[in-house]
Amino acid sequence: MRIVFDKLAGVRWLTDPLAIPFMQRALLTTLLLAVAAGLLGTWIVLRRLAFFVHATGSATFPGLVVAGAWGIAPPLAALGAGLGFAGLLSRITRRGATGADAATGLLLTAALALGVVLASDVYRSGAGVDRLLFGTLLGLGDGDIALAAAAAVAALAATLALGRTWLATGFDPGGAPALGIRTARGDRLLLVLLALSVVAVLPAVGALLVSTLLVVPAATARLLTGSLRGLLAAAVAIAAAESVGGLLLAYHLDLPPGPAIAVIGGGVFGLVALAASIGARAAA
Amino acid sequence: MMSGPPAAASGARASGVEVRGLSASYGGGAAVLRDVTFTATGGQSVAVLGPNGGGKTTLFRALLGELPTAAGSATVHDTIAYVPQTERSRLDFPVSALDVALMGAYARTRWYRRIGARDRALARAALERVGLADRTDERFGALSGGQRQRVLIGRALVQDAGVLLLDEPFAGVDRTSEEAIMRILDELRDEGRVLLIATHDVEQARRWDRVLCLAGAQIAYGPPAQTLTNAVLEATYGEEIVMLDCGHRAVAIQHHSHTH
Amino acid sequence: MDILSSGLLQRALLEVVILGATCGALGVWLLHLRHTYAAESLAHAMLPGLVIATLVGAPLLLGAFGGVLGAAALIALAARDTRVGPEVAVGVTVTTAFGLGALLALAPGVPARLGELLFGDLLGTSTSDLVAACVLGGGVALALWAGHRSLAAAVFDPAAAPSLGVRPARVELALLALLGLAVVAAVQGLGNLLVLALIVGPAAAAIRVGRSVGAQIAVAAGLGAVAGLLGLVASAELETAAGATVALAAIALWVLAALLAPRAPRAATRRSLVETLGG
Repeated sequence: MRIVFDKLAGVRWLTDPLAIPFMQRALLTTLLLAVAAGLLGTWIVLRRLAFFVHATGSATFPGLVVAGAWGIAPPLAALGAGLGFAGLLSRITRRGATGADAATGLLLTAALALGVVLASDVYRSGAGVDRLLFGTLLGLGDGDIALAAAAAVAALAATLALGRTWLATGFDPGGAPALGIRTARGDRLLLVLLALSVVAVLPAVGALLVSTLLVVPAATARLLTGSLRGLLAAAVAIAAAESVGGLLLAYHLDLPPGPAIAVIGGGVFGLVALAASIGARAAA
Repeated sequence: MMSGPPAAASGARASGVEVRGLSASYGGGAAVLRDVTFTATGGQSVAVLGPNGGGKTTLFRALLGELPTAAGSATVHDTIAYVPQTERSRLDFPVSALDVALMGAYARTRWYRRIGARDRALARAALERVGLADRTDERFGALSGGQRQRVLIGRALVQDAGVLLLDEPFAGVDRTSEEAIMRILDELRDEGRVLLIATHDVEQARRWDRVLCLAGAQIAYGPPAQTLTNAVLEATYGEEIVMLDCGHRAVAIQHHSHTH
Repeated sequence: MDILSSGLLQRALLEVVILGATCGALGVWLLHLRHTYAAESLAHAMLPGLVIATLVGAPLLLGAFGGVLGAAALIALAARDTRVGPEVAVGVTVTTAFGLGALLALAPGVPARLGELLFGDLLGTSTSDLVAACVLGGGVALALWAGHRSLAAAVFDPAAAPSLGVRPARVELALLALLGLAVVAAVQGLGNLLVLALIVGPAAAAIRVGRSVGAQIAVAAGLGAVAGLLGLVASAELETAAGATVALAAIALWVLAALLAPRAPRAATRRSLVETLGG
């Protein structure tokens, strides 16, 4: 009860967790992830890949399960599962018999079901499943930080080098090749980078909630600005702010960070959308 | 074999379209079509000519009762049917030509009943009439563009429509089918039906009894020979028109836009 | 095999066969209307309803109803968005709702039932669950029979449908309401993450082989029932999670149909890779 009367409680609520080593690691990781997720999230939103990214995240679940059981590095197994999913999906949709949405739904569900069977019945990894699905605060190690840093650097380099290609392809997929733009190569690189970034955000937010970092902040930024530079910058800033808030919430409520960041991100998006539509009405 | 439909058939139905001072808009916004006034009686085929966005689709939707009219009135005497462009329908959907023709009987079949034997016979007869008696069980998507168009006209016959709205019936249709469709449309007209044929092809428009020029508003209405003057065409198409043969022939340049 | 001798399994078997047939039949129309995203979104976003029901001790069916209604309202609101596009707006909504559900379920002191809600508990089927599945499944089947012609006109030719006496927007809304009912019925057994398998798997397989919509629906209902049966028997024999095994069986049928059915002609226009995946 004393805490209630402590004037510094609010400040301590923010600063106390920062003194703890595992929280410092978690903060560093998510800030690096915010750079990767904000930049790539912009492209995800502009190219309408939200469902694909969500599905890729879910598809890594069986990879994560077997990684634990077989002693492979989890990011490697997740990357394999994610790339396998993307490759299989593009093969199926190119054959044209099953629509992209149906095929995505089927493969996503198949991956989840496979993950459940492997986790609960084959390897009996039981308690760890929540961590794989929703992320962890405690378990973020040096490897995760390195991966997040690599994803941030790759996202930045790719945005600088391929930004024009992606923009032109997204704006006019049919006309871009006539401008001398190699759309197929750009698209393939984008998908590989997305798989990489999905793998990077997995430890922090879990397989089911990769969209919280990769889609929600960029979608919020889209409500605020129309320029590409503004979008990229705002998406990174929003991703950073939301993940710091989410980490603090998760710490204080003793929750995994994925759901905490998701709820904060969704709340911010809702408020911004509301404010934007009120502003638009006032202007009209 | 008869050389043509009997003249007595003309006027057998009391079909008609009466539009007076019609303005229409989407969702209460600014009017996209203004000041349309024309009357078409049974036995007339009317070309509805104009550029994309000129109001052809809007007029059709107003006639079908799908758009509230902002001003004026659009009255249709007799059953009305819409014959869409075949590219707009789902070609991967597993329906046969007969299934599509039978859709013409949907409106008069209560939901708990099967489609009646009479309507089935009607659908077969309609397909026979459009020259597809041997294709009734073919998958709709597997037919050629012209054949699909004829199936959709057959569906309007099953609806027993006296007023037919045809949306670019010759788009993506080969020469042979085009002639077959022309012949069918002439027959339907001679039976006393009203045909409204949306087109952006000026040459095509000259072929019908009347032409209605739309460019956001009504530019002109009347028999093609008197109506399709250079001044009217310029007013309809603006700068998109190109004159050939010292003004005797005109070609409209269409900017095709993708609508998804 | 003494599988059928246990009351637990008998109930589960009956439940999964009813659900499989219902979801399979419904799935054919959902696939023709290209509403897989809607099905996925609705099922995922209903999680808070399920969690709240278990927290307050209300029947799961009630939570599922509330969850589906809430999810449908939010998704419909988000799908009207023109600024970020409906797909992204729906994605944000679904992620948030799902996160909220997980947040409530994983809070300290809450009994660990999240796994059941996500992945189902077929063997926990009670007699009242069975009755509910029968009623909801029967309702869906009746509605599909009654609405068959309207659905056909709305899918095949939405532009001409009104002149045929059919309103496509209403038909689509009604179909989504049926989807809601099917999800409510199936979520107890399969969990909100795996329901999609029974809705899309048998239907995607049936569309590869059926030549008319009626045939496709019949095949999908049959395949759905078979997937349920095979999945449940396999899970009992192999001692694997029942819901997940049923889901895998449903998807396996699709893979089988895709391998056996004649190759569909390639789409005439080739779109870029990302375009294809983005839909």
